[in-house]
This record gives sequence, structure tokens and C-alpha cells, in this order.
Amino acid sequence: MSFESLLLSLRLAAIVSLLLLAIALLLAAWLAFGRWRGRFLVEAFVALPLVLPPTVLGFYLLVAMGPRSPLGRLWSGLFGRGLAFSFEGLVVASLLYSLPFAVQPLVSSFRNVDPRLVQASALLGVSRSRTFFRIVLPLSFPGLVTAFVLSFAHTLGEFGVVLMVGGNLPGITRTVSIAIYDSVEAMDYSGAGRLALVLLLISFSALSIVYAVNRRVWSPWTAR
Amino acid sequence: MVAVDRPLTPPLLRAESAPLTAHLRKEFRDGRALTFALDVAVEVPPGFTILFGPSGAGKSTLLDCLAGLTSPGAGRIAVGERVLFDSSAHVNLAPQKRRVAYVFQSLALFPHLTVEENVAYGLGHLPLAERRARARGVLDSFRAGHVLARRPGEISGGERQRAALARSLVTDPQILLLDEPLSALDEELRAGIVEDLRRWNAARQLPVVYVTHSREEARSLGERLIALDAGSVVAQGAPQDILARISARDGMGR
Repeated sequence: MSFESLLLSLRLAAIVSLLLLAIALLLAAWLAFGRWRGRFLVEAFVALPLVLPPTVLGFYLLVAMGPRSPLGRLWSGLFGRGLAFSFEGLVVASLLYSLPFAVQPLVSSFRNVDPRLVQASALLGVSRSRTFFRIVLPLSFPGLVTAFVLSFAHTLGEFGVVLMVGGNLPGITRTVSIAIYDSVEAMDYSGAGRLALVLLLISFSALSIVYAVNRRVWSPWTAR
Repeated sequence: MVAVDRPLTPPLLRAESAPLTAHLRKEFRDGRALTFALDVAVEVPPGFTILFGPSGAGKSTLLDCLAGLTSPGAGRIAVGERVLFDSSAHVNLAPQKRRVAYVFQSLALFPHLTVEENVAYGLGHLPLAERRARARGVLDSFRAGHVLARRPGEISGGERQRAALARSLVTDPQILLLDEPLSALDEELRAGIVEDLRRWNAARQLPVVYVTHSREEARSLGERLIALDAGSVVAQGAPQDILARISARDGMGR
């Protein structure tokens, strides 16, 4: 039973972090290189999950996914069932909840690329989009890894939003953090301890990867 | 020393070898207060022209304007008949379309690409074999053919300068801008690279703008000199005359 919740969380985290990578790439490129002056508003919006209590975010998401909301109606029109309290609902909620963890490392590594490199590329006749893929993206590799790993780890460990949006349905929305909570409630401390240890180890490994990549990969490419 | 009757490169005195003419004004403001204004009119004929002046004179800003990396508020920039920028006609070509080669002081070689990939980078429209052949050709004329498989972080300072020159010239530009690219090198290395550059330019006759704040470089390199100070051209003409005049007047440069 606890194993089931762990698998569910891993599946959720993998799907969310892959989707997020694609979404965050576009969003971060626009935030880092766009010209619209109001971009700070979008940056603030993206960062909201960092400061909002998960229950607040979860509440709004629940309302937005409800059967009477436009999103909820669209979803049940398309798929014949509700979005709230489903695995797909968890995916949507997690995308928003982990968005800053994917976007912010990408934006900062894009902005860290020497603007002279981007200019040199332009002077050689190469378009902005091609410059992004040939120069900016490869030099932002550590940011890419950071974005992926952090959004994976963050999604894996989320609790409040999941509880609000997904409830606690075994095999559908009962993620590992909720299973831990349940075990403790049921005085099953050894079961909770096992799951907690697994989460701790995964989180620590994830952060180790982030720090290792940011330290090593950068240096051999940096000419001086 | 080069035999005149047997040119190293095909003697294409191209129709596009034309002087650069520019007059422009670019202002920098802090709030409403004007902090710096570059206001110049210059003409750069084919061959080496030194852009000389102390740091903060506006040399790099002028090059950035010529290359299209920043826009002047007003003015006109043209190479021969080809207009790159004209505020009254609302012409402002993107850097991609200007055919301006520009070697930055930092060189800005792409650190994750090999030297050959760096040089071939701007030839994306050509087939691979052609790209490689051209990249190797230019690298050879700048005597950097032996480092083509290495990354910029793995080669010497002089080799990096040569690679950067080769990269900027392989795309067949109309003018060449050099922003103190050789200032970090010792005299002997620098002379060697300048010699290769002169040989390369002998057949092409591009206008070359060479920025420096070193009096010694200014004296030895250029056929013409433009002295810039506090955003204005203070003198244009033969290097010897101007340098003598400037040192007589004040201690500009050193």
C-alpha cells in the first residue's frame, strides 16, 4: 500500500517535470530576452507558489477545476469526467505549484550567458532563435538540469496542494507525503519512517546532482 | 616581402571595397540628466584606421553603433552606397544584415564549440563540406590551423585572437571593427597577428577600425588616426602628426 503511493508520486513527478521543462523553456526564454516592459508581472505571478500557503493555491485550483468552472466544464466535456480529485488534476496543480522551480533556474542561467556571445552570433548573421538553440541553451545546461531536478523533487514532496485538489484516493491521488501523514495518524510509525527515509534520500540525491552539475560542467567551457 | 607579381590570394579588388562614413549622436541619460553624449562624424577609407582615445571616450560605443548592437538617436551610417542606419529615412539594419565583422576585446569565442566550429558557425547556409573547407582556409591564413579541433579554453591567448579574427572574417564582411583585441598580447605576438591581418586585407581592402588607447600601438599600426575624447572627434589624419599634437597639448593617453 505504501509502495503504491511512492510509485504514484514518482509517476506524477516524472510527468510534471518533463512537461514543465518544455513550458518553462519557452517562458524563461521570453522572460530573459523579451522586450515587453511588464514582464516583471509575469515573473511575480510565476513566483507566487513560493510564498502562498499551499492551501491557498490548492483552494483556488480546486475552485478553478470544479464542475461549474470553465476549465472543469471543458475537461468533462472532452474526457467525460471531472478534473478535481483525479490524477490529471494533480498534474495540472503540480505544474503551477512547481513552476517557479523550473522557470527561475532557467531564467537566471539564460541571463548569465555573456551578452557578447549573443551579439557575436548576431553579427555572424545568425537569427535570434537559432542563437538561442546553438549558444544560449547549451551554455545553460546546468540551469536545465537544475530546473528538471528541482521540479521533480518539489513535485515528489508536495503535500498541501495535493490534499486540497486531489483528496486522498488510494492509487489515484494518495501521494507519498499523504501516505506518510496517514501512517502517522494510524500510529504506524515504522511505515511512515520507511517512506520518509525514501523521500529524504531522493531529495538529498537530487540536490547533490544540482550542486555537482553547477560546479563542474560550467568550468571547462569557460574560456579566459 | 610579398612578391607583387604573384599574389597569395586572388586579386579581387571587390566592388564592395568602399569607405565607411558615419555621423551620429548617441546620448546616455540618468533620469533626465545627460550623462554622456557621443557626437561624431568620421570617414574610414579602406585600410587601417586607428580609433584612439582614453577609456570612457566613447570608442566602444561608437563601434557598437556601427555594428548595430545599439542604436544612435540620430545620424547616418553607410558603407559606400549601402546604408546601414539612417534616422531620417528610418533605416536601421539588424546586426545580422550589416556585414560588419566585429572582434570584441573579450573575443567572445563560443566556449562550448571547437575553434573550427566557431569559425564555421556563421556559414550555416552552406553545405557542411564547404563550411569546413572555408573555415580551415581562413584559419590557415591566420596560422591557427593547428588548433581547429580544440576549444577556446584549451588554447593560448594568441591562438584565441587568431581564431576570433578568422571567425569574424570568414563570412565575407564589408568592414572590420577591432576593439582592442590584441591589447593583452606582448609586442611580438601582436606584430605577427597584425602582419597576417594586413596580408589578408591586402587583396580585399576593407576599411578596418582598430581601437586602442595605447599610443605605441596607435603609432605603429595605422595609416590614419581618429582621436576621440569625451564623445567627440578631436582630430583625424596621419597618426604621427596627431599624436605629436596631442602630446604637445596635454597628457591624453600616455
